[in-house]
Amino acid sequence: MAGARAFKECRKIGGSQIRNLLNAKDFFLFDCDGVIWHGEKAITGAPKVVSSLIKHGKNVFFVTNNCTRPRENYVNKFYRLGFTDVMQEQIFSSSYCSALYLRDVAKVQGKVFVIGGEGVRNELLEAGIPFVGDEDAPDGTIFNCALASDVKAVLVGHDDKFTFLKLAKASCYLRDPNCLFLATDVDPWHPLQDGRILPGSGCLTAALEVATGRKAMVIGKPSPFMFECISSQFRVDPAQCLMVGDRLETDMLFGANCGLDTMLTLTGISQMKTAQEYRDSDHSTNHNFVPDYVVDTIADFLPAFED
Amino acid sequence: MAVSKCTRLNGPLIKQMFDSVDSVLFDCDGVIWRGDQTIPGAPDVINLLKKNGKNVFFVTNNSTKTRKMYADKLALMGFNATEDEVFGTAYCSAMYLKHVSKLQGKVYLIGSNAMRQELEKVGIQQTGVGPDPISGVQIDWANVPLDPEVKAVVVGFDEHFSYMKLNRALQYLNNPDCLLVGTNTDTRLPLEGGKAVPGTGCILKAVETAAQRQAQTVGKPNHFMYDCVASQFGLDRARCLMVGDRLDTDILLGSNCGLKTLLTLTGVSTVADAEAHQESGCPKRLGMVPDYYVESIAELLPALQG
Repeated sequence: MAGARAFKECRKIGGSQIRNLLNAKDFFLFDCDGVIWHGEKAITGAPKVVSSLIKHGKNVFFVTNNCTRPRENYVNKFYRLGFTDVMQEQIFSSSYCSALYLRDVAKVQGKVFVIGGEGVRNELLEAGIPFVGDEDAPDGTIFNCALASDVKAVLVGHDDKFTFLKLAKASCYLRDPNCLFLATDVDPWHPLQDGRILPGSGCLTAALEVATGRKAMVIGKPSPFMFECISSQFRVDPAQCLMVGDRLETDMLFGANCGLDTMLTLTGISQMKTAQEYRDSDHSTNHNFVPDYVVDTIADFLPAFED
Repeated sequence: MAVSKCTRLNGPLIKQMFDSVDSVLFDCDGVIWRGDQTIPGAPDVINLLKKNGKNVFFVTNNSTKTRKMYADKLALMGFNATEDEVFGTAYCSAMYLKHVSKLQGKVYLIGSNAMRQELEKVGIQQTGVGPDPISGVQIDWANVPLDPEVKAVVVGFDEHFSYMKLNRALQYLNNPDCLLVGTNTDTRLPLEGGKAVPGTGCILKAVETAAQRQAQTVGKPNHFMYDCVASQFGLDRARCLMVGDRLDTDILLGSNCGLKTLLTLTGVSTVADAEAHQESGCPKRLGMVPDYYVESIAELLPALQG
């Protein structure tokens, strides 16, 4: 039965059940968007939940696919929204982890061609990884793009300045099978505060996969790499972890891939109905999207701290 | 009747094959030209076929030119061809929207000026063509003003493709009644010297990923392109030959429409690719095995001249 996954019940819990769960776990991994905040607004009660967990000696980490800001910027956002105890070391974003992968796992010798904004570039800078974007050769056309020498990897992340020229250049670099192909994440879209959505990194990665006939190595959830990043810096026992997220196909699958217990909060993207459909589905792969537990909001943790 | 497939076409087989067809449909890129360079011998092949009384059509997934632009390019490169013999996806998409979708309304277009022109020719207005630089912040992008008359998002080759265009398409496609139509799914556009530019398929995939739905594609291998030709010229499919360089578009179109198929090796696909499909035994892949292949269509010349 090696590799068999525990059956996930998708059980809504409250009151003492939450208290027992909080007692049983030492490590709490939170997704951000839709879990602790919506855009620039903290979810009611979320700052208190985080600080209470920390006060009770729990290890709290934030695991986000959102690569639009560097970590130092995230720290400011946490503070601004009332999460005053959060330190940079607790924040694991897909852009930060991509830089770690390039530096420590791939040990890339050479430059990285980046399709991404400040959130991605700053992390590469911090990690000491040289990179190029397409601004370096402004007179290039798609039929005759000047390529930088010594590019050993292409990293695709969220890029609101994405252009066809960048796509063309990236596919040129990726014709070399030894050139790495990395994606921060494959989220197809992400929601804003008011429920509207914007295209995600997944769209740009998909375009490049079609152009090259190659599959990107995905850093962000649901790939387990971000958990490996956390484990390499902190002594973490998967059995002591709870992954809390709002997106079944990324957060819950991530938890399942890392062997963690998972909790869906209903303040974000996914709905209870969908989770139940996955649970009751005949296709066993859908079971990996199912959470162990469900709460309406993480603020439901708060009564558990009153003792 | 079992027919042997993927046969090297040479010698008397060529004449035999042409005696059995009245119409020949040629793909363009990788078959009669590469970028701005003709495949040597290609103009003679086309011109001789016509002299021998065959109908010749040009069926291309390339959406960057109107029929008129193609006719001009063909003439410049020595091919006897008229505008009405050319079927590109700019033209065919406009025809599709007009006659199949029966579109009442405007189009948000990610595509070329050629597409805009072909749409306007059938009375369909578009918005969106050309550069679309980004400005403002996320909330502005999610709230871009939408033209209420837009009833379809149409995607073709667009060198100005950008995040902003992808975003606009997504905002329109949030309405489930808004159609999503793509010209084609080709992954690359081959150019001279082995260069390749990403194809429309990449752009379309980005839009499909954002909107989490599949586009209706007009181009090969969808049978619509053949239907377009056949409806205007009354073809007998049993006496038609499709000549192309891509197994997954040209040859598959031919198979889907019951045409004879000829692969030329001056473009994307190889004999090894064809044989792999053949050996797979997978029904879906068998449609990509050509009846015949040649190294280049120039190999057809001796038989046509003789």
